[in-house]
Amino acid sequence: MISAFRNTLFSHYLLNPKPFFSLLLISTQKSTFVSSTSSLCKPRSHSTFLSTLMAGGDFLNPSSDKLEKQFEDFRHHLEESGNLRERIRAVATEIDSVTRLIYASLLLVHQSRPVAEVIEKAKSQIGVLKELYSRLSEIIRECPGQYYRYHGDWKSETQTVVSLLAFMHWLETGNLVLHSEVEEKLGLTPTEFGLDVDDYLIGICFMSNELPRYVVNQVTAGDYDCPRKVLKFLTDLHAAFRMLNLRNDFLRKKFDGMKYDLRKVEEVFYDVKIRGLAANGDSTGEKQAQGQS
Amino acid sequence: MLLYASKLCFIVMASKPQRIRHLVGATWQSAMKKARTMSTETHTESSMKDGFSKYADYLNNLNDKRERVVKASRDITMNSKKVIFQVHRMSKQNKEEVLDKAVKDLTAVTDQYLSRLIKELQGTDFWKLRRAYSPGVQEYVEAATLCNFCKTGTLLTLDEMNATLIPLSDPSVEPLQINILDYILGLADLTGELMRLAIGRISEGELDFAEKICSFVREIYRNLTLIAPEMDDSSDMKQKMETMLQSVMKIENACFSVHVRGSEYIPLLGPADTSYPLLGMPDIE
Repeated sequence: MISAFRNTLFSHYLLNPKPFFSLLLISTQKSTFVSSTSSLCKPRSHSTFLSTLMAGGDFLNPSSDKLEKQFEDFRHHLEESGNLRERIRAVATEIDSVTRLIYASLLLVHQSRPVAEVIEKAKSQIGVLKELYSRLSEIIRECPGQYYRYHGDWKSETQTVVSLLAFMHWLETGNLVLHSEVEEKLGLTPTEFGLDVDDYLIGICFMSNELPRYVVNQVTAGDYDCPRKVLKFLTDLHAAFRMLNLRNDFLRKKFDGMKYDLRKVEEVFYDVKIRGLAANGDSTGEKQAQGQS
Repeated sequence: MLLYASKLCFIVMASKPQRIRHLVGATWQSAMKKARTMSTETHTESSMKDGFSKYADYLNNLNDKRERVVKASRDITMNSKKVIFQVHRMSKQNKEEVLDKAVKDLTAVTDQYLSRLIKELQGTDFWKLRRAYSPGVQEYVEAATLCNFCKTGTLLTLDEMNATLIPLSDPSVEPLQINILDYILGLADLTGELMRLAIGRISEGELDFAEKICSFVREIYRNLTLIAPEMDDSSDMKQKMETMLQSVMKIENACFSVHVRGSEYIPLLGPADTSYPLLGMPDIE
């Protein structure tokens, strides 16, 4: 590499004795040239040549320090934000494993376990989630105003959290959990570290994906009133979503998928109703519902 | 009973094809009906409806704002491009004049279009809407650094650039500051423009200027290699780094070939003739 540089340099001066530089530059060039030719064999002079070249050549000397310094600052800044991101990712991974636990316990509703028992178990993890979110908001507090710079790192985990909380809330009350209620459950404060509305809405869409399976399994287990309730809820939810003007983004895609959930539930409802099961199942369904609450 | 069941069946089947639309249309109507019978469900629905009208407002406002920011960004891009083209119009004779106009145009971009972006952002959502304005800001960084380099031969730093933006912001809100990422991405694009500029200079025989560009671009590339992997969206940057290396090498190769060939002609031209050291051709003009 050094010899390559040397060759270029020397060929430049030997073959091209008339440089194309401005007067001032020629004078500095010449003095350098003379000094280097006089000490041709000394490796030191090559290294000085090399270093001036590496530092931006003869043209940038006054400003190259400033330039170097700026890029050094950039590197520090980016390293710091990289560290911050790693810490965020660590918390997000923990959130992810907690949501897995919750999801696994919630899945028992498909096996006709009593709702109260299932929810109890899932709820025990909410405290852990709350703690994790407070850690996350502490990290974000270190870089005020940059919530959305790092948002992508906990976005999908949060969407899952919302969907689980919404499913639990629905199993318990039959209602949709609201954005502010989710914030409350997770101990978030809108001013400092709030829940992004998009994340909330996407989470709700995820929750709707869970309902067709729930309906099918409930009917199999003999709760014939369940399709009616779920259909009503999902129809309302779908109607509510239609009030939103969505962009062509992920949420829009998820919302478009919701109609398939709706159709599936409708089909189950239809199957049950056409066979007259809902009519005589109504009372037992009511009873079950009462027993659950 | 049987009759009832078959009738019901008929109704359900008949309505099947347009079921979704039917059901959705009937939602609020059925909600009203239920209101008399079940107070809890009404409560649910109205709170759901309230909630969603709030989300709808929020989304509408955000989308409108994003749309305005995108528009402002597009204007910045367009006009910054014009500035860059203006810089490329320079030749040996009219350098000062052309650059002065470019700087003037750039100031106009700052005052008219960048200030509009600042107004639309209103001191908020700098990171949230970054995707919406990032292309414009990158182009602006490119234009500003290009002008500055041609004028002074140095790199316009982010701090210097941001200092010019502060007066544009309303003092009551947080001023828009170009973020590091957009600045670096803009610098990466700058190399492409400098490559064009260098080739243009070489063909006009301004080898000194071309070499100046060459070492400047090398320096930027070298510094960015350290930074690129640390960027937030490093995949984008990785691609830019490759393009950048291509540009650097193009300049180097152009300098090389002119250097090699130019040297062959110099003895013929003689030391007195300084205007055509590269081409060794008589002046056409």
